[in-house]
Formats: sequence, structure tokens, C-alpha cells
Amino acid sequence: MRSLVLALLAWVVAAPSAAGVVFNAEEKRAILAHGPWPAPWRPDASNRASGTAEGIDYGRRLFFDPRLSASGKLACASCHVPALGWSDRQRVGVGKVPLDRNTPSVLNVRHERWLGRDGASDSLWSHALKPLTDEREMGSSVDELAAFLRSDADLRCRHVRAFGALPADNLLLAVEIAKALAAFQESLITPRTAFDRFRDALARGDGAGMARYPEPAKRGLRIFVGRGNCAVCHFGPTFSNGEFADIGVPFFLAPGQVDSGRHGGIASVQKDRFNRMGPFSDARDPADAVAIRHLVQEHRHWGEFKVPGLREASRTGPYMHAGSHATLLDVVRHYSELDVERLHADGERILRPLFLSPRASLDLVAFLETLSAPQPLHPVKPRPGACS
Amino acid sequence: MSRQALSALLLCAYLPAPAALACTARIEGGQRIESTHYELAYRTHPAPVVVGQHFALDVIVCARAPHDRVTELRVDARMPEHRHGMNYRPSVTDRGGGVYRVEGLMFHMPGRWQYVFEVRDARGTERLTQDHWQR
Repeated sequence: MRSLVLALLAWVVAAPSAAGVVFNAEEKRAILAHGPWPAPWRPDASNRASGTAEGIDYGRRLFFDPRLSASGKLACASCHVPALGWSDRQRVGVGKVPLDRNTPSVLNVRHERWLGRDGASDSLWSHALKPLTDEREMGSSVDELAAFLRSDADLRCRHVRAFGALPADNLLLAVEIAKALAAFQESLITPRTAFDRFRDALARGDGAGMARYPEPAKRGLRIFVGRGNCAVCHFGPTFSNGEFADIGVPFFLAPGQVDSGRHGGIASVQKDRFNRMGPFSDARDPADAVAIRHLVQEHRHWGEFKVPGLREASRTGPYMHAGSHATLLDVVRHYSELDVERLHADGERILRPLFLSPRASLDLVAFLETLSAPQPLHPVKPRPGACS
Repeated sequence: MSRQALSALLLCAYLPAPAALACTARIEGGQRIESTHYELAYRTHPAPVVVGQHFALDVIVCARAPHDRVTELRVDARMPEHRHGMNYRPSVTDRGGGVYRVEGLMFHMPGRWQYVFEVRDARGTERLTQDHWQR
């Protein structure tokens, strides 16, 4: 009798109902951890323009201005294209020359602790300086950026509004330009999605709300939080734990050349004079630099790359650090047919080949697609009129 | 000595001294671990710990015998099954009186983590561990 009751209980808890997939308590807990959305956020203490209307408006103008590049033809928005998920749909980015890595979207970037595929920056503003002055990307220099800004009366005025003064020092001025760019990018938050509506309906026990979420997406979600182990790294409201992982994607650039990923990223950020421990940070509390102060480089970081957030993922392909996977289905196949020999794990493997059926693969893609809003996020137009 | 008397003596030796218990009680609502010569209590900030977010520990280390002196405390955490630790090396600040502040910890994935406390004294190092299931 006892086993009959247990069997019945198990059926009630886990079996699909007439309405389809019903999640058990453990699955529910895992799903609820992916919200609510938008997630809470505090302005970046290392950037005094962060979260200010003046900083965001000024940064928006700079983001779309090609005069920031040496050629006068390349704006930040040339690679972070709003209509393309604020990325570029290229396998690897193309600045003045083709680059080594895929261009990451800047959507939801305000939630990231480390910037860049290798996390070589610990703030959005210090990261924004890099493409501006990298010879292979926008190719400008600190002095050229400062000269451009000083020559434009409207931008000068907006700079003073955002930062209180126009610094005489060119390097400080360039850093503040990057801080304005960061303030704007922090405002790029993806809209709520079909997943968010389902997640919130689940939280309040709203059966009708839950029923509106497509069954294939529910089946894919079950794989995501269950046997797929995806949520181990793609955790929380952004679907990323903000750290780095080796998922068996080759990191060879060319014969004899490798992309060391996080291993090199740690070395870079630790010696970066623009990191949060340096003199360019506006933060006064040492707690603001807790991540960089305690960062440690180990051999296992070799070939690790940042775990990307998955919101708007259907618009931000190709995928992986070097754009090696063209579609979300390709990504799912990667995990389904994972080559464990490429992984560096010493102990129990978190990643194993999932051996998904064609239908299960499509279900996982169906779920991932519900993390995108029906329409892409377009920038708010700058306030009209000149600054005076 | 009878077997019962020996058992009673061993039990007494294993149980924490009342002074050590009173000592670790200074951290309210914390977790407690015992070893041969020490009892340790700790509490996380924030509580509960969130995956992918840094947290700190308040730790108190109490000697069972009055003559034992801690010379250093080291703190780490590992995922035993996966054989990896954290991506960060925690810093320990000695605040005196057996009280320590540990900063820079982060559990970057859910699963079974294990806190590792190394208490150093004139004898050597005593290791105290405790499992934590991170959700």
C-alpha cells in the first residue's frame, strides 16, 4: 500500500498534466532563480557619471559618433549595432582589421563584473578605453580623443554637465570619455520576455499565465535546469554567473598561436593601471575593488572564456568566443556531442555529452528563443537641442 | 582502567570545553566546527550566500586549552567532487581576541562546497572543514 501511495505521489509531482509539462519543486526553485527581471542594480561607484541622466545622454552621443576613431569612420555602434542585438553578426569583430574574437553584445553589460571574453577589465569604463585606443580597432589615441573633444563646443558643454569640469590632463579626459560611454551602455537593459512572464506566473501560482508559455519551451527549460546542467554556469537573472569556463571550444588562433582566454585576462587586469585599485577609479570604498584584490591566476584558467548571459541570445549570434557556432542549434549540438577530451576538468565532470534527441535539441532552442523580446532594443534618441 | 571509564574519558576529551563553547557563542546564528584543539564559528555576509556574488565571513577561533595560541588563520573553499576551488583567494584580517574577518570569497556555481579553515599554532596546522550546499 505504501509503495502504491509513493508511486501515486511521484506521478502527481512529476508527470505531465493535461496542460503539458509540470515542474517539480526542485525545478521550480531553479527556474525562479532566473528572475525577477529587470534585476536590481546599483550605479558603478568607480564611475561618477554612472546612472546619471547627464552621463547617459552624453555617452549616447559619443557611442554613435565615428569621430572617436582615427579614421573618422568607425563608431562604437559600428560593431555594437542596435538592430543586430548590439553586436555585429560577424564571426569575429572587424575594426581596422579583423580581430581574434567574436564581438560581444553590450546588452545588460551593467551586470558584468569582468569585461571582455577574457575578463581583462574590471569595469565597463576601463574596458571602453581599449577599443578606442587599440591600433587594430578604432585606432585613436589619448591625445587625439582629447583634442577632438576640446574642439567641439557642444560635447565640451555636455562633458562639463556630466563630470563638473573639463580636465586639463588629456589622459583624465580620455578616461572620462570612456566613463560616459560606460554610463550609456549601462542603460541598455533588455525588455521582459515570454520567459519572464512565465517565471513570474510560476512564482505566484498563476496557472493561466503559465499555460501561455509554449510547451516546447517548457520542455527545453526542464533540460536547461535539469539534466543539461546549463544553469550551473548560466545562473541567475542574467543567465550567467559572471565567471569563466572551459567548454571544450578550441582556442587555437593560427598554427602556433593560442588564445589563452581567462589566464591571460587575469594577468592583463592585474597589471592594468585603469583597474579598480588604480587612481582613475572614483570609488572611495575599498569594497568596490573586492574582485580584483582577491583575484588569483591558476593554470586551470587557461582556455576559459566568460560565461555569456543568454538574454537576447537569438539576436547575438554567431556564438562562442571566436564565433565558431553560427546558430543556437549549433550551440545545443556542441553540448549534445561534447568532446570531453578537450575539457580540462580534473574531477567529476560538470559537462558531459547530453546526447539530445532532435526534438529535445529543438526544445532547448525553443526555450532559449523565449529569452529574447519580440522586438530588438533600440536606443532612446538624444535630447534635442544644443548644450549651452 | 575499565572500558567504560576509558570511553567516558575519550568522550570528555572529544567534547568541546565549556569555555570554548562560550567563546564561539559570541557569533550568534553561525556555523560551528570542532577539532582536537580548537572550536571555530563563522557567519556569512550576506546570508544566505548567492552564487556568483562575493561574500565575507566573520570567524571566531577558540582554543580548548588556555595555553594554546593561534598564530595564523587561513581560509579557503573547494568543490571536492570537481577538484577545484574558488576563482579568488580570500584575505584574512586578524581583529584580535580570536576574531577574524575574511573577505573575497565567492561560490561561482551551485553544488557542494567545502569550507577549509587552517588554524596555525606552535604545534603546526590544524585543519577544520565543513560542507556547505550552495543552491
